[in-house]
Formats: sequence, C-alpha cells, structure tokens
Amino acid sequence: MQPRTIHLTKLFLLLSAFVIVALLIYGMFGSRFYNTRNLISMGFQVGEFAFLCMAMAIAMLTGGIDLSIVSNMNLAGILAAYVLTNEALLAGTSVGTVLLLAVTVALVSGLAGGILNGLIIAKIGVHSVLTTIGTMMLFAGFGMILTGGRGVVGFPDAFSYVGNGTLLGIPFPFLLMLLFFAAVGFLLKRSRWGRSLYLYGSNPIASKFSGINNAGTIVTTYALAGLLTGISALIMISRTNSARVGYGESYLLQAIVVSVMGTMDPHGGSGRFSGILVSVILLQLLSSAFTRLGITPFARGLVYGSILLLIIIAYETLAGRSVTIGKERPPRAAGRPVDSM
Amino acid sequence: MGSGPAYAGPEPLFQEGRLMAGRYVLQVKGLSKAFPGVQALDQVNMSVGFGEVHCLVGENGSGKSTLIRSVSGSQGFDSGSIVLNGNEYTHLSARQAMNEGVQVIYQDLSLFPHLTVAENIAFNWMVRDDVRLIRPKEIAARAKDALIQLRENLDLTGPVKNLSMAQKQIVAISRALVLDAKIIFMDEPTTALTRYEIDSLFRIIHELREKGIATVFVSHKLDEVFRESDNITVIRDGKKIGDFTTDSLDEETLAYHMTGRTILYTPYEYTADANRQTPVLEVRNLTREPHFRDLNLSVCAGEIVGITGPLGAGRTEFALSLFGLNPPDSGEILVDGIPRTIPTPVAAINAGIALVPEDRHVQGLHQKNAIRENLVAGVLDEVTKWGLLDSDAAESVANSWFEQLSVKAVSPEVSVGTLSGGNQQRVVIGKWLATRPRLLILDGPTVGIDVASKSTIHEIVHELARQGMAIIIISDEIPEVYKNSNRIIVMYDGVFIHETNREDIDQEGLRTIVEQGVPA
Amino acid sequence: MSRLRNSRLGTFVGRQESVLLLILLAYGLLVGTVNPTFYKLDNLFQIIRASAGTMILAMGALVVLASGGIDVSFTAVAIFGGYATVRIMMASGIDNILFAFALSGIFGMVLGATNALVIHRFRLQTLIATLGTQSIFVGVMTLIFGTKFVPVGDMPDSIVWFGTEPMLTLTMPGGAARLTWFVVPMILMIVLTWFLLNRTLIGRTVYAMGSSREATERAGAALWKTQAFIYMYVGMLAGFMGIVYTAHVRSLNPISLVGDELFVIAAVVLGGAKLTGGVGTVSGTVLGVLIITTLQTTLILIGLSSSWMRFFVGGILLISVSIMAIRTNRENLRNLIFHSE
Repeated sequence: MQPRTIHLTKLFLLLSAFVIVALLIYGMFGSRFYNTRNLISMGFQVGEFAFLCMAMAIAMLTGGIDLSIVSNMNLAGILAAYVLTNEALLAGTSVGTVLLLAVTVALVSGLAGGILNGLIIAKIGVHSVLTTIGTMMLFAGFGMILTGGRGVVGFPDAFSYVGNGTLLGIPFPFLLMLLFFAAVGFLLKRSRWGRSLYLYGSNPIASKFSGINNAGTIVTTYALAGLLTGISALIMISRTNSARVGYGESYLLQAIVVSVMGTMDPHGGSGRFSGILVSVILLQLLSSAFTRLGITPFARGLVYGSILLLIIIAYETLAGRSVTIGKERPPRAAGRPVDSM
Repeated sequence: MGSGPAYAGPEPLFQEGRLMAGRYVLQVKGLSKAFPGVQALDQVNMSVGFGEVHCLVGENGSGKSTLIRSVSGSQGFDSGSIVLNGNEYTHLSARQAMNEGVQVIYQDLSLFPHLTVAENIAFNWMVRDDVRLIRPKEIAARAKDALIQLRENLDLTGPVKNLSMAQKQIVAISRALVLDAKIIFMDEPTTALTRYEIDSLFRIIHELREKGIATVFVSHKLDEVFRESDNITVIRDGKKIGDFTTDSLDEETLAYHMTGRTILYTPYEYTADANRQTPVLEVRNLTREPHFRDLNLSVCAGEIVGITGPLGAGRTEFALSLFGLNPPDSGEILVDGIPRTIPTPVAAINAGIALVPEDRHVQGLHQKNAIRENLVAGVLDEVTKWGLLDSDAAESVANSWFEQLSVKAVSPEVSVGTLSGGNQQRVVIGKWLATRPRLLILDGPTVGIDVASKSTIHEIVHELARQGMAIIIISDEIPEVYKNSNRIIVMYDGVFIHETNREDIDQEGLRTIVEQGVPA
Repeated sequence: MSRLRNSRLGTFVGRQESVLLLILLAYGLLVGTVNPTFYKLDNLFQIIRASAGTMILAMGALVVLASGGIDVSFTAVAIFGGYATVRIMMASGIDNILFAFALSGIFGMVLGATNALVIHRFRLQTLIATLGTQSIFVGVMTLIFGTKFVPVGDMPDSIVWFGTEPMLTLTMPGGAARLTWFVVPMILMIVLTWFLLNRTLIGRTVYAMGSSREATERAGAALWKTQAFIYMYVGMLAGFMGIVYTAHVRSLNPISLVGDELFVIAAVVLGGAKLTGGVGTVSGTVLGVLIITTLQTTLILIGLSSSWMRFFVGGILLISVSIMAIRTNRENLRNLIFHSE
C-alpha cells in the first residue's frame, strides 16, 4: 500500500469530531433524531446562536474577544421590542412599517454597540477584554434601566415569521444563517477588509508599517460583529416572543467554545470561517441530543466546558502534525536549529 | 557573591600586565552536536582564560548559539567535553554550569521590566539559593554592592523599564556578579548603545577582568571585535576556523574567514543627470522635538544618500517622520518639488515614499503569513476593486517581485518565517518596490544578515538607484554607509553635523567624525 | 525621621492609588451631601460588610492578574466550596465556623490545583481555559450535591451566627453601629496577600512571570510551582469567600454568584492591575473594591434604583481604563514604541 500522509489540520480534526458525534447520535437515537421534524426544529433553534458565533469569531480574528455580544443582543432586542409594542406606532402606521422600523432599530442598536467597542479598542487603545467587559455591563445596565427587569412582550403576529417562518419548507432563520455565513465568509476571504483583518491579527505592528489602516479594520470588524448581534436579536425575540435583560447568558461561553473549536486562534490572525459553521451545527446536534436525554443546564455546562478544554488541548498538541499510514516512513525533515542568538 | 576573586589559583594571574597563559576558566574540547539534517557543531575546541576578553565571531547559523547553549547547560551535546574551572563534564546541566560560574546575557537581557533595579539584580540569585523570605534591605545591599564593584550607580528603586539600554546592561552584568560569575557570555552587547555607552561597557568589562572574570562577547561589528578583545575565535558552519589574536587579523581577512570567500565591494558611483534638476526629496528645517531639529536635505533621482551616526542621533526618528509615523512639529517635506504633509504611512506611500524598517521581524513582515501575502500588504488599495481583492492582480504583483528579487524559497506560498534573514529582507524590499516609490528609505537593511547576503542586497540597492530611484540608507555600520552611498551625512544628537560626497572623504575620516561627534 | 516616613509613604501610595483615594473621598462627599445618612458609622460598617466577599476574591484575582493571567472560575470555586461545605456540615452535623472555612478552603485549593494542572500542562490561554473550568466546576458540584436550595432554617448555626452576630457594637448618637465578623477574614486575607506578594520569593516570582515569562524561566524558577501556588491560592481564597457569602445571604442558592467574576476583575483593574501582568498592588485593589462596593450600596441613597448599578460600574470601568490607556499611548507615541499594549 502506498504510504499516505495526512496532515492534521484543525479543520480536519474538527470535521472528524463532527462525523464521530453525528454517528454516535445516530447510534443512540437513529431516526428518532434524524427525521424531518427534528431537523427542522433544530434549524429554527440554531439561528440566533449562529449569528452570535459569527460575531465572536471575527472578533477573535483580531486577536481579541467580544464579551459584550449577549448584552448587546438583549439591548437590541429590547429596543426593537419597544417599537413592536408601541401603541401609538401600531395605531398610526401599517404593520409592515412597524416591522421595518423594529428591524432597523435592532440593527442600528447592535451596530452602534459594536462601533462603540471598536472605537474604544482602536482609538483609545484599551484591551478588548476590558473594553467588552465594560460595554457588557453598560449594555446590560442600560437594558435594566429601560425595562426594570421586566420582559417586553406582545408582538404583532406578522413578526413571528422572522424566528418561526419557513421558506420552501426550510426554517427562515436557518436560511438567514446560511446566507450570512456565505456572505461573511466571502468577505473574509476576498475582501480588502478580510485581508486587513487577518494581517492585523497576525501582526498589528507590521500592518501599521505597511500603511494599512488598523483603526478602520478594527472598527469595521466590531461594527460588523454588532450588526450580526442585531440580527441575532431579531431572531431571538421573534422566537421567544419577548425581550428581556439576562436572556441567553450561557450563549457567551458557548460562542467562545464554537469559535475556538471552529479553528479560530485566540491570538488572532488565523482560522477558517467554514469551521465556525461546522462547529455551530455540531453544538446544535449536541444540544438537541442533551435535551432528548434530559440533561440539566448545569450538566450541559459541564460538557461544554470539558469540550472547550479538550479542544484546545487537542489543537495545541495535535494540530500541525502529520500522520503517515503505510509501510514506508517519509524521510525526517531536515531542520536547522533556530538561531536565537 | 562576587566578594572574593573568581580566580583562586596559586600563581599570579597577571604578570607585567599581561594575562598568564595556561589558566583556563573554560575549555571546550572536541564538542560536537547534531540536529536532524545538520551538524551544528563539529569537533569544536576553544579556550578562555580567567579574566580574558574573548570575542566569538560567526554568522547567523554558524553554530555560535549552539556552542553557547551547550556551555551554559541549556542544551546537551553529542560528544566531546567541557572543562570548567578544571572540572571536566561530558554532560552538563544548567545548574552545574551556573554553579561553575557560567552566565549568559542574551541580547534581550532577560530582565523584568516591572520589577525594580534591585530586584532584577537579586532575583536570579534568590531563585538559585532559594531565598524564600524577602528582606528588602538585604536585597538593596547586595544590589548596591554589585553596582559598586562595577563603579556604577543606579536608582535601586525605579522599575527597569524606565532605564536606557546601557543602564539595563549594567543591571544584567550586576546580576551576573551577584551569581558569582566566573565567565560571562554577552550576545551582541553593543547593538543598541551609543558610542559613550560602548566605552563604558568596555570599561566595565575591564573591571571584570581585574577580578579575574572572563568575558566572551559575540559581535558581528567587525571594528569592535578588534578594539577590545584579547583573543578571537571564528566559527563557520559548526567548525572552529581558528583562534586569532587581535593583531593578526584585519577586517577583510576576518570577513574572509567568516564566510569562506572573498566578498568584493564595489562602491556606488553616481552620475548627476542634467535633465532631472528637481530633487526627488527635499527636506527643509524639519523639526521634531526632542528627536531632531532643523534638518535640511535633498536627494536627487539616482542618488544614494547614507545617513550614519551614533545611536540616539535621531536617524530612525527622522526616517519615521518621512514615513508618517512620527509627524514633525515644523518644517517642510517636498517630493518632486511638491510640498507634502505626511501624517500617516498611507500619506507617505501616496507621496511615493517607502520605508524598509529597522526591525525586520516585527515591523517589516507578517511572519506567520505567506510570502505572497506579505508582498501585497503594501498595495492592497491597488489590487482592490469595489472593496474586493482582485486575486489575479495580487498574484501577478506577488509573483513579479518574488522573481525579480530572486527570493530563495520553494514558492510564494511558503510563510516568511521560514526564510533566512537575507531572503526575508528581499521580501520586505519587494513589498515596498511594489508601491512604486520615488524614494526608498532603508533603515539598517543588513542587520543580522550574513555577509554574503549583505552584498547581494547592496547590489539590489545599487541597481534600483541606477534605474532612477532616490535612496536613503541609514546604518550603524560605517563600511556599509561608505561603500553604498555617493553622499554621506553624519547625524549627531538630532542634528546633521556633516555632509560630504563620498569621494571627498575616506572611511577612517568618516569614522572619526562619527565617533567624536564634531564636524570635520 | 520624617524623611523616612515620607519616602515609605511615597512608595506605598503610588500615583494610581492616590487618584483612587481621591475619587473615593470625593464620591463619599457627594453622596453625603445629598443624603447625610451616608455619614452614619453604621452605614460605613455596612459598606465594609458588603465589600468583604468581593475583597477576598479580589485579592486572589490580583495574584492571577499580576502573573499575567486571567481567571474567571473563582466564583464557581467559591460557590462550590460554600455549597459543598454547607451540605457536608448539614449531613455530618459538624457545626463549627472554623471547620467551615477550613473545609471550603481545601475544596478551593483542590479546584485551584486542577486549574493549575490544566493550564500549565497544556500551556493554555488562561481566560479561555478558566471559562471552561468554570462550567466544569459548577457542573460537577450539581452532579455531586444536586441543586437543592438551602433556606436559612436549615443552615448550620455557626454560619448563621457568623453572618448575623456583630463582632463589635458601638452605641452612636444616631443608633447602634454594628461591625461584622467579616472583617476578620477580610483583613487577614489582605495582610496575607500583601505579605506573600511583597515579602516572599514566590510572590515576587508571580510578578516576574507577569513581567517576562521567558526571563523567569531563564532565571531557573520552576514555573509550574508558581502556577500551582497562584491558582491554589486564588482557589483557597475563593473557598473562604464562599463561606462569607453564605453567611452574608444566610441561604444558599447554587445558581448564584457565578457571573459576578467580571465585577471582581473590574475592581482589580480599576485598582491599577494590568491585564498583561507584572503590575498591581494590594492597596490599589483594596481601593478599587471599595469604590465599586460603595457605588453599589449607595446608589439608593442618592435616589437611583439598583438597575443603574451595572450601567455605572461599566461606565466607570470604561472611563478609568480609557484614561490609563490614553496616558500609556501618548507616552508610547512620544517614544516611538509600537507595541499594541
């Protein structure tokens, strides 16, 4: 047999894990899990989370992190909810206009939050961890001031399409997710912003010396993350038919799990965006399987935390190596000792 | 604690002012070390006597780092032995080496920026002797004692990050003293020092010598190697080429031994072009406190202007001002006769100015990225249409410069981090040539590059000038500036103190002006 | 003689601390002017009581930040230690406050050791790793001990006593001023932390690690020992805090406490510690915690509901780190230093 070398890239490891998990689930549940109804149900659930993961992933590409995505999402949702439940508006204009306004408000709110993050990080120069801790508190606090902790409920029926409607039988949020995955992935790979982003994450100083506008890159990145968060908010409030502070707190850790698992390097500058899609679906499969098994939120946290650790350990130790199957061993690669002096 | 002499033998160390032969603190005997695919050290012999000032010379990759790592015990070796203070070791641990008095000061000095001077001096000693309880007075006393031995004085309570490079070095050497060093290895200690500070450093090395402490310093500054060492060991390709005393060598011979071949330097000749009267670059009364003041300069197409001077003169700061990273307080910059304001690198690139920066690794390149991506990094604007990258355009730019500059790599997909220094620099130059500059500034273009690659890079620069580019070369190395410029400017303390055509001065004369800091 | 005192005071109260002290006093004056009940001694004692738990955690967080890492799992450790100890005390009948502290502290050290092992063995990014261990600890706790809420009636008497009985009662003109027992562990931990960080080799090694990991290795220091110390220390302190917290709220809800870790980190950063490590003092941290706690407890006194709390803390954090960043960046610009932080 011809010896073949398999390069253990992160994406390869991830896909392997995906296949293993998918098969395990099949083994455990068979067609009780893999049937149209269940798949459609998962398709509805995965939407809002996927957008949060996309936001986290692009923040991580800068070498930073965005801890404010959940608070941002909730705030955007609350503001949109106020529009949707505003008596005066509903009486005065058509439902369509109100919906449009609500969508705009959510997007603008998410965008504004993201721009705030970007400006503080890029223009003032505060580390992303500290900035987004601060803005997380700011957004959550603002939401608290507005709502006093109470949920905002009672949206027009038409709005429920966002989170619950289907197009050609496929859940609308799922299609939205695919659309944006393709769009953002395309931009990352082919746009100037994407290239600047990867270069920045790789070496911000060299980028500066190359004449690349670092501040612009960062603000754009966090702004886009904010926009994606706004979309997530719309899906979320449509599905739950309410908006309140404190929703989805467990999403933050999970989004980080998905980003790291999806091959994003926390140091920035590398990661395949397609890995995020694989990760999101993988986590959705796990989540649904857990629900089926009746596992409590705490135990789920345990599993997600363990997965996170296992993933980073695996990537740290395995990724980059090569495995050879077959009789012959390839010659040991010649290496020069690094001249550190 | 350095309280007693390093050398405690019965016979006197010095006789009539000259080091006695036969008393060795370190003897390396037939040392060999191989890595997969390469023999890093091949039967190397070296001897260093107590109190000797010894220079270890060799190019990057010659094996000098491996040798030092072996002697300090941080890396093993395959065969041979190391004799320290008369004790022979066929395997040496870091602990043993430290106990025998081997200390290494790496180029980054390995200091703790946020800790105080006193703590930096004492920390390694505390770790070695497991001093669990900290008594600030005792720490201060030990630190002070070490400084006094070097006849130096520093504020013990300030954080090290506020010190100058020279002061940091004093801290590092004091630290070695506290650890009872008998032989101190210094890696390129003078790279970031001013002339005055270099003199101070060597005075300190002489203090060490008086105590019988040997210094082995690694240097690629050939002129320094000669001035200060008793003995020189040259290493090439893992083999010891020879031991020389200072008087038996000159620069050319040393360069020959280091590379194994004779490198011919052709000085750059410039012919003024009567058609091109407007200088490409004109600088009038440029000031940026506290870096530089009232600079005036003009560079015509086809000229290579060399700027040299001691560290701290303001050369790099000037270059950064021309490139938009250090906007000037006042003065004018004109490119092709048109006044320009340059507040950012983008403005500089648009004005036709490009900078090959001083720190190739961090400022010049994205190490983890492919050659292709690095080559295009400066011209993203040009290969972008409607916000999207035109991959064909980008590829052709990258391939074009990859070939024109003969970058030695398998393909442009390889990451630049794997390239040698010389090849990395070609990528940096290629990146900037892609921006089609009118003026190319090179700041320390051949630092850390082997001698052979140095001359090829110089050839590239000559060719660029011949084709009409205006070039400024900034360098510490007098020979580099001298041989590659048609006009030379000496900068000192923020001011241009001397300007001359190359043919009106010789290298020694230039060196004198630089060292003394006064115009001829 | 006076020169000696001045110099010692000068080094003790650094620039950052002086600013913080001023802010604290200014805020105190502001609040007191609006609502003079602030000046009651009992009120000040209440602030101390409210800050005790956070203070103990902050001491641990300081040690982690000084080493250049970030730990977000300490609240999980705290609740684990507290909950586990209370359930064990209830089951075994042992009812001794010192026993409670000891047992919880031991739990904390064990969990901390786990953190250290994972981080050191695999050289993981501390933030992400401790995000993982945070959920793992909570998950394991619920697996072993369940999620039963413990009302005050079932609480061990010693803990209730510790939280209710005052250590010191002073009769003041306006009413009685009661000083809680919490000051004992609080002051002990402050002093212990100061001593460890400033007068022991391992404490200085913590700063050394944060300042330059490579230089610390070259000095021959055993990094794993220091890591073990750091995470076990913060674990132990978290364990102690778990008991203080339990005594404070006099009941035990295992779902609580986790989520507040970012407030603690915010307080430590406010006090002058840097995320990059090597910097941070005990006195600064004390002031940072006092500022945030005073803010939290006095918002009501100046007429703002507690909904505003998060908003304010976030805002103050952002403003303070922005000021620090602007100052650093201006200096870097002048010296042509191009590092990102």
